[in-house]
Amino acid sequence: MTFVNPLLLAGAGLVVIPLVLHLVMRRRPRLVEFPALRFVRLRHETNQRQLRLRHLLLLLLRMLAIVLAALALARPSLRLSAGPIGSQRAPVAAALVFDTSPRMEYRHENRTRLEAAQELALWLLAQLPPESQVAVLDSRRGPAAFQVDLGAARHRIERLETTADAQPIPHVLAEAARLLAGSELARKEMYVFTDLARAAWPIDAAGRLQERLNEAPDAGLYLIDVGVAQPANLALGELRLSGQIVSSRSTLRIETELISIGMGDKHTVELYVLEPDPAAKVPGARRPEKRGEQTVSLTPGQSRSLEFRVSNLNQGTHQGYVQILGQDGLGADDRRYFTVEVKPAWRILIAAPKPENTYAVFLREALAPESFRRSGLARFACDVAPLDDLPQKDLAPYAAVCLLDPKPLEPLVWQKLADYVAEGHGLAVWLGRNAEPVKTFNEPPAQDVLAGKLLRQARSPEGKLTLAPENLEHPALVAFRGLAGGVPWSRHPVYRYWQLDALAEGAHVIAPFNDAGPAIVERPLGRGRAITVTTPVSDDPNRDPWNLLPIGEAWPFVILANEMMAYLVGSGSEELNYRAGQTVALELPADRIAPSYLLTGPDGTQARIAPDVKQHRLMITSTELPGNYRVQAGGPEEGVDRGFSVNLAPEQTRLERWSDQELAQFFGTYPFRLARSKEQIELNVHTGRVGRELFGVLILAVAAVLGLEHVLANRFYKKG
Amino acid sequence: MSTVEKYLKPEVIRQIKRLDLRAQFIVKGFLHGLHASPFHGFSVEFSEHRKYTPGDDPKDIDWLIYAKTDKYYVKKYEAETNITGYLAMDISRSMGYTHRQDMTKFDYTICLAAALCYLMISQQDPVGLLVFDEKIRKSLPPKSRRGQLATVLSVLANLKPTGKTDVAASLTQIAAMLRHASLVMIFSDLLAEPEPIVQALHRLRHRGHDVILFHVLDEAEARFPFEGMVELEEPESGERLTLDADNFRHDYLAEIEAFREMYRRECFQAGIDYVPLDTSMQFDKALAGYLAGRKARY
Repeated sequence: MTFVNPLLLAGAGLVVIPLVLHLVMRRRPRLVEFPALRFVRLRHETNQRQLRLRHLLLLLLRMLAIVLAALALARPSLRLSAGPIGSQRAPVAAALVFDTSPRMEYRHENRTRLEAAQELALWLLAQLPPESQVAVLDSRRGPAAFQVDLGAARHRIERLETTADAQPIPHVLAEAARLLAGSELARKEMYVFTDLARAAWPIDAAGRLQERLNEAPDAGLYLIDVGVAQPANLALGELRLSGQIVSSRSTLRIETELISIGMGDKHTVELYVLEPDPAAKVPGARRPEKRGEQTVSLTPGQSRSLEFRVSNLNQGTHQGYVQILGQDGLGADDRRYFTVEVKPAWRILIAAPKPENTYAVFLREALAPESFRRSGLARFACDVAPLDDLPQKDLAPYAAVCLLDPKPLEPLVWQKLADYVAEGHGLAVWLGRNAEPVKTFNEPPAQDVLAGKLLRQARSPEGKLTLAPENLEHPALVAFRGLAGGVPWSRHPVYRYWQLDALAEGAHVIAPFNDAGPAIVERPLGRGRAITVTTPVSDDPNRDPWNLLPIGEAWPFVILANEMMAYLVGSGSEELNYRAGQTVALELPADRIAPSYLLTGPDGTQARIAPDVKQHRLMITSTELPGNYRVQAGGPEEGVDRGFSVNLAPEQTRLERWSDQELAQFFGTYPFRLARSKEQIELNVHTGRVGRELFGVLILAVAAVLGLEHVLANRFYKKG
Repeated sequence: MSTVEKYLKPEVIRQIKRLDLRAQFIVKGFLHGLHASPFHGFSVEFSEHRKYTPGDDPKDIDWLIYAKTDKYYVKKYEAETNITGYLAMDISRSMGYTHRQDMTKFDYTICLAAALCYLMISQQDPVGLLVFDEKIRKSLPPKSRRGQLATVLSVLANLKPTGKTDVAASLTQIAAMLRHASLVMIFSDLLAEPEPIVQALHRLRHRGHDVILFHVLDEAEARFPFEGMVELEEPESGERLTLDADNFRHDYLAEIEAFREMYRRECFQAGIDYVPLDTSMQFDKALAGYLAGRKARY
């Protein structure tokens, strides 16, 4: 608490006056003759006590009135945060923190939120005392520093723009607190220009923020809300592609959702794919071609799923975008970009005991059905070979190898398979009745590949044992996610399977049986993966089969086999779609690495990038701008023409706001003030600097005490 | 209000200096208010006949005369009692108290006693006077002749309420002094320990006397009209107490009511007529109290 006229506090000494009057100059009561005194005497004691109490009460009230009056005249003010005392014009160490996430592009009353923040900040800057130190921080990552002078700060504020890779405000604010803690100026202030969006203030950052704020305990914290209370916006959710690398002529499926905040009515979403523009003068130029359109009705607050399908994509890199037709408050979330690569069908080698074609029939039909093979639509090109041919077989052209019900193999063959997997390929082993003697499978060369030691053949002739995938997060099972509980595994019982003793190091169960025993086990080896399935899919159903997985309406088996194989060939391993700010890593063919690559950004800017020759990769870090990027080298014919897409993280454009009360949890006990207009800022900053003047409150209290004293005195000392 | 009835009011009577007139006015005023003559029907014997006039009680019509003469005559009676009445007056200092400075309890008592004296003498009852404070200070033997009123009044007029009081002792003394069963009318404020007084009253009653207790308080004593801080002084003992009157009024009134109630209860048990009065009350209440008691007995 501070005082404008501390000397006047001495006036509180006058409090002795009523005390002296009370003790010395007691008013004599009227003397009245009264014969019936005996009736008075009986109750006099109680009355006397009350009288003394009233006297005391009146005395206290009078003393209180004097003390309050003295206090009021000294003009005290209460500072909510402990801070230095002094003139309002003393220089300030101020940190101006701006939320520059894409959300701040939200347009309201013909101004973006960032423009509103800039306007308020420039006004605020003009209010700061000269000689003040000002730091301007925004949502970009990086160290903070004070600007040279107020002019530089002004220039910095004027040049602020949104960034796609915005970090949460508490992180920036913590950085500001750290900066201010190092300032020598006594008065420290933090101004945060924010739209109070939940996305900008993640709740898990609150603890760290409070720790950092407490490093600068005397800094005033002002939140300046430039957000819109009731935003109206349409947003597209993240795009979910059926695959980023798809085989030629397969259909690309794109799923997303349209989310409405405060907007209803019908809205149209379009899908565009960039196609080569033969009319363009620049070689390699592309133009968007509409490949789909959907119109959906939405009520405010609703979200609707959308699905687009694109077929007949040629081999090569394809880019495109999904966009909302029309304009809304925030344009940044109206368009989402995607990149897919279309490759020829993956070659799969299916090795089985003789007669190999009989053994392989179920798997081959599941991976590449006859009709698809004929029409060229199959994702996989399956070669079937007898197990005995494996030693001589060149495995390099194959993306994955499948062993169906293998017999004991030569150690050299196991070694060959292990090397093949370690190079980055896939191997799937379906164990069956031929895995005898067990010993040969439990020895080192085989155990280098298999998921664990084989224990015994387990039987469940009642047909109660089935596959029971639990965690559908694994890429090989993710296709079942929408069907969880609806997959009729019980119609495809497993009668026999190989029990594994202990899983090999690094191996983990992808899907168990319903008795919790391992059914499908993955084991990473080097750059590749080996999957062991403990029951075969190659038994003739007429010959006492180990299971009925491929029998009847076997669509679960078909999906499982396809997804497992797609996983093994690495169709989902290379990332082509990134979030803004992420580092992009593009795999390059080891045999054809160019000395440099030309990166073309969404805005047409081009840059030369050198590849990482050792890792066969191209690393690209400048990915702040959302859109489709292209990487080219070596000319249109023989050269490389790839690409990737960068999108905003969905939370960067979520407009849901924290309420003022909820916001308080970020600061714990640390005092902060919230303002929405210049007037509120002025008032809050004044109150924060000088404190809250208590004069009015005290004078009111004096009046109240005096009034009470008057009423009581009148009541007590009525003239007779 | 008729001109006669106004004399029942103490503030009016106060303006009349002569005590005999005061007594006369009070009694006449009182009688005027009654519908029937109070003297008929008790302790009287036939004296003469007179013609019936409307307003006379039909039960007094002498039907023998009517049978003989065919005219209505009513029987007239004449007092023949010898109820000896004693006016026992408290003249302690507290009786001289008045808050409004117009009529002290003692003045009020004298007016009342004078009226009763007048009333009784006009009935030819012998009336005596006993004046006491700590003991009996003065006494007049009971007589029923006209001159007795003047004697009583002259004694009353010269009394001054001074000194301390001992009602109980005085009453005991009175009980010992009166040989024949009499009607003892006590006028006092009873501001003393109640227990001995009640015992003395019992003793008096036990001796066969009829007792009417006129408990006279000052208006201020009955209503406690003070406001604010006051210091109260007892005139007899000089004791003082300071208190806040507004706050205390409720308690005081409760005390005084309890005090009166206690006397009312004790007197009822002893067969004594208890008439609580204060100086603001009209005299007819006191006289009616007396007459009611008298009628009940004879």
